[in-house]
Amino acid sequence: MVVDHETPSLENGQTDKEVEENANVLQFMDSMDAYLTVIHSLSSTLRRGWLELASARHSMGASRVNTVLLDHTSHPAATSLLVTQDEGKVDSGKPHFTLCKWASSSNENSLLGEKQSSQDKLHPQLRHRGSTELYEEKTSSENKASREVDDPVQKERSKSLSMFGTLVSPKLRAAQLSFEAALETLVEIANMRSEMLCAFDQVNMKLEGRKDEK
Amino acid sequence: MDTVVGFLMAGVGNVDLRRKTNYLIVDSKTTVKQIEDTFKEFTTREDIAVVLISQYVANMIRFLVDSYNKPVPAILEIPSKDHPYDPAHDSVLSRVKYLFSAESVASGRR
Repeated sequence: MVVDHETPSLENGQTDKEVEENANVLQFMDSMDAYLTVIHSLSSTLRRGWLELASARHSMGASRVNTVLLDHTSHPAATSLLVTQDEGKVDSGKPHFTLCKWASSSNENSLLGEKQSSQDKLHPQLRHRGSTELYEEKTSSENKASREVDDPVQKERSKSLSMFGTLVSPKLRAAQLSFEAALETLVEIANMRSEMLCAFDQVNMKLEGRKDEK
Repeated sequence: MDTVVGFLMAGVGNVDLRRKTNYLIVDSKTTVKQIEDTFKEFTTREDIAVVLISQYVANMIRFLVDSYNKPVPAILEIPSKDHPYDPAHDSVLSRVKYLFSAESVASGRR
């Protein structure tokens, strides 16, 4: 049996190069599918936000929920993005976006607080019958800590809504939360877009290489 | 307009000392030239990482949006209240869709 050492092959006849190309194509298809799925999710979140905003306008009056009331005095954005280069590949040029919600210079700890309180919501603690008192003390101190961290975030949220007046409809607050969720989805989309374009460039390079060979 | 108001409530609005904003509300009085100039301005600003543009507005300056190819700021086309998102018009998907055309598949197989 003659063994060709120049072109190593696998059991199914594919070379390493073909396996890598297939992997690139699969990665590109996966990233495109994920991109479309998340865009669909964004549409749902935005629809909810628009509906809540319309409800708030209905209850508060069109003159109170209006672009005329927008704050045109000098102020920085309370929510911003951190852009970093993709780790692992020095020359990839692929940016990675991270959302910093309500993170002004005075309340950067609110990011951690937000994560903590959102994790608590996702994983509610179970009651233990045996040590009820100890459990209640622990949860009240944890709740106090999360409330303390949440307060600056709530203050920023209220400040953002203050252009519409001191007392605002609960629907307006709900709309604010929906648009915050939409922002998180958009950052996810931005990262997926970056992945998709990177995978596309790799697939395109291989295709161009094949055309040049022929 | 509601999209801009919503995102401003989420805290992304910025107004600098010269009262220049990081958003543009497009209404019936906004010209295509204004949209083009704002797009060019936002895509060259150092303090903007992502540009959100309603797909309906992006269609008005489609040539400009499709010819933009920098990684940052990222241009994200989003649906608007009156115009749902259409993947066929998305600039990123248009760029990659030719990979699925019969010609590109056939040339790869030769």
